[in-house]
Amino acid sequence: MGGVIFAPSIFGVLSGCTATGDPWKPVLFNQSQADLTKALSETIIPETDTAGAIEVGVPGFIEKMVNEVYTEDQRLVFLEGLDSFNSACIEATGNSFADLTSEEQFEYAFEMNRIALTEQPTGLPDFFLLFKELTMVGYFTSEVGATQVLRYEPVPGYYDGCMPFEEVGRTWAT
Amino acid sequence: MNINIKAQNSNTYDAIVVGTGISGGWAAKELAEKGLKTLVLERGRDVKHVEDYPTMLKDPWELPNNDQLSAEELKLYEKQSRTGYTVRESTKHWWVKDPNQPYREEKPFNWMRGYHVGGRSIMWGRQSYRLSPMDFEANAKDGIGVDWPIRYSDLEDWYSYVERFAGISGQAEGLPQLPDSVFQPPMELNCLEEHFKESIKNRFDRMLTIGRVANLTEPKDGRGMCMHRNLCIRGCPYGGYFSSNASTLPAAASTGNMTLRPHSIVNRVIYDENSGRATGVEVIDSETGEMIEFYSKIIFLNASTVNTTLIMLNSRSNRFPNGLGNDSGELGHNLMDHHLSVGASGQYDGFEDKYYWGRRPNGFYIPRYRNLNANNRDYIRGFGYQGGGSRQNWVAAVRELAIGKQLKEFVQTPGTWTLGMGGFGEMLPDHSNRLYLDFDKTDKWGQPTVVFDCELKENELLMRKDMMEDAAEMLEAAGFKNINTYDSQPPPGHGIHEMGTARMGRDPKTSVLNGWNQIHSVKNVFVTDGACMTSSACQNPSLTYMALTARAANYASEELKKGNL
Repeated sequence: MGGVIFAPSIFGVLSGCTATGDPWKPVLFNQSQADLTKALSETIIPETDTAGAIEVGVPGFIEKMVNEVYTEDQRLVFLEGLDSFNSACIEATGNSFADLTSEEQFEYAFEMNRIALTEQPTGLPDFFLLFKELTMVGYFTSEVGATQVLRYEPVPGYYDGCMPFEEVGRTWAT
Repeated sequence: MNINIKAQNSNTYDAIVVGTGISGGWAAKELAEKGLKTLVLERGRDVKHVEDYPTMLKDPWELPNNDQLSAEELKLYEKQSRTGYTVRESTKHWWVKDPNQPYREEKPFNWMRGYHVGGRSIMWGRQSYRLSPMDFEANAKDGIGVDWPIRYSDLEDWYSYVERFAGISGQAEGLPQLPDSVFQPPMELNCLEEHFKESIKNRFDRMLTIGRVANLTEPKDGRGMCMHRNLCIRGCPYGGYFSSNASTLPAAASTGNMTLRPHSIVNRVIYDENSGRATGVEVIDSETGEMIEFYSKIIFLNASTVNTTLIMLNSRSNRFPNGLGNDSGELGHNLMDHHLSVGASGQYDGFEDKYYWGRRPNGFYIPRYRNLNANNRDYIRGFGYQGGGSRQNWVAAVRELAIGKQLKEFVQTPGTWTLGMGGFGEMLPDHSNRLYLDFDKTDKWGQPTVVFDCELKENELLMRKDMMEDAAEMLEAAGFKNINTYDSQPPPGHGIHEMGTARMGRDPKTSVLNGWNQIHSVKNVFVTDGACMTSSACQNPSLTYMALTARAANYASEELKKGNL
């Protein structure tokens, strides 16, 4: 019927995040899982001159995706991933991830990202990359992520197939 | 007695059209414009242009869960979601819920559809290509199936006629295997697609052109031009693309001759043994369960290939024990689709300072180049490619070393240019590829259910090797790197181009319809949806359904005037 969409996307057709900015009340995650989700998502996308992951509601987005969109098997794997990540962090640093300083959080997460990208056998789902992906989906489909960090035009009006990048300025959100 | 006659009069029209999708909308418009009182029956709910497009203006952050369905809800769309891109939170209202609409797969078959006014004309891919003289002659030349009873010259003016109304944007190229349409201005290729076009022209003497698409690049008849949001599937607030809802049904309604009746499932065509004609249709009101008869002089079946065939197979009588007009035994057979989901993609270093504006709801098209003048491959017929180029966005950064502040900066510059393409291949008609009815397993309205027994055969499988390898070869020659080939081997139906199960032909012994889309043996019933197709060619078929429908409607109206129907 229409065929194939060649968006350079590992998620298929992308669209949205319901990040609302409302205070998040966990319904699936326990306290330690919730604390980790907040701390790790904010480490991956921190507040700079634009809002960070927590402010745009990414932790709640992640929980809702895991709770509603994931199958039961996927959900259990993810919850187990949160707990294992925290245990490994305590073993390595003596503290749970949420209790580290923001510098320590960055260093630990940077290392986990590096290991996932360079040392993990490819093809296996890696918890850190799964979490990073969920964080990025939630953030860059939020209004702040799409319009302030990236560029979003709800009604472009026309197509120009080849123009200087500087006239657009930033990567298109969609 | 009086009451019955009154009921019969109020249920009597000049014409009945079954279905409101691409072809039903055209039948409604043409017949109503000829002055015929026309009843248009739709099995699903009403959908009014613009006001019934609930998600058309939603921004990404207004859709829950990244526009994905919950795992629980997705179970209702197990078959409908098999493409991976069609059933989203923003589009789920356009697809049937599979548990309500069961069908059986003797062999796997993806039957994806929506039951509502407008049918799949709301969700279609809008790619619009004429068949060529070669396509109408191919079966006769190759001794495959039966010969088309018409030639390109019979349809040429009707293509122009429907194109002028629908609005097709594209570039005239003068190719014999892909005749030009009456075009609105073409959309643009982007930098990388232009490069690829030059490369395959120089290296392989193959053509790449912008997709020919039913999106307006100039305003037309009260419809606005495409705003390049690429949200067509949700319904367009501007009327920027052709759908029954935006185009043909409003035209039909404006004549004052159309009565549109949603929630009307046609159970069977009523055949009168004495006159040898159909007298009307039997309808199940899907809301009340009531069975109602409607009568007319002529009937157009446009319920889409599978459901039109279901209605015909279910219309059994003494004269037609195996289904209406099924003297040939071909009704339900020769089921075709286009075979696809095979091709290649790659990355390109260059154009780093270039980008694009807008979300073009269209890609490029590489018209068929195999077996044009002689069969010189190990298969017959051929394929075209559809594809597109773009720059990677933030998604690619999941696999980058950056996190934190660096990640936020990194994603602001677009990534590598990538280009992908997939083949759309012709599928040959084969008597053993069929659908049939299971009269023992009925649905909630008591209708028999459809069983699919259809698969790709040797010719298609051989063709797929070229579809994959040619794509990689062209990308490599054009300087791409990290080239990935793929063949996801979906079952038939995946192209959502079902066709062929009530084919046109010259001989009533081997075909169901004649050259005017009339049932050979029941001349006042016309079938002008995909069921009529004698061969599939490799071009997206909707434009051909439009032209065949307009031509048949014109013929039906003239024959009525002459008293021949």
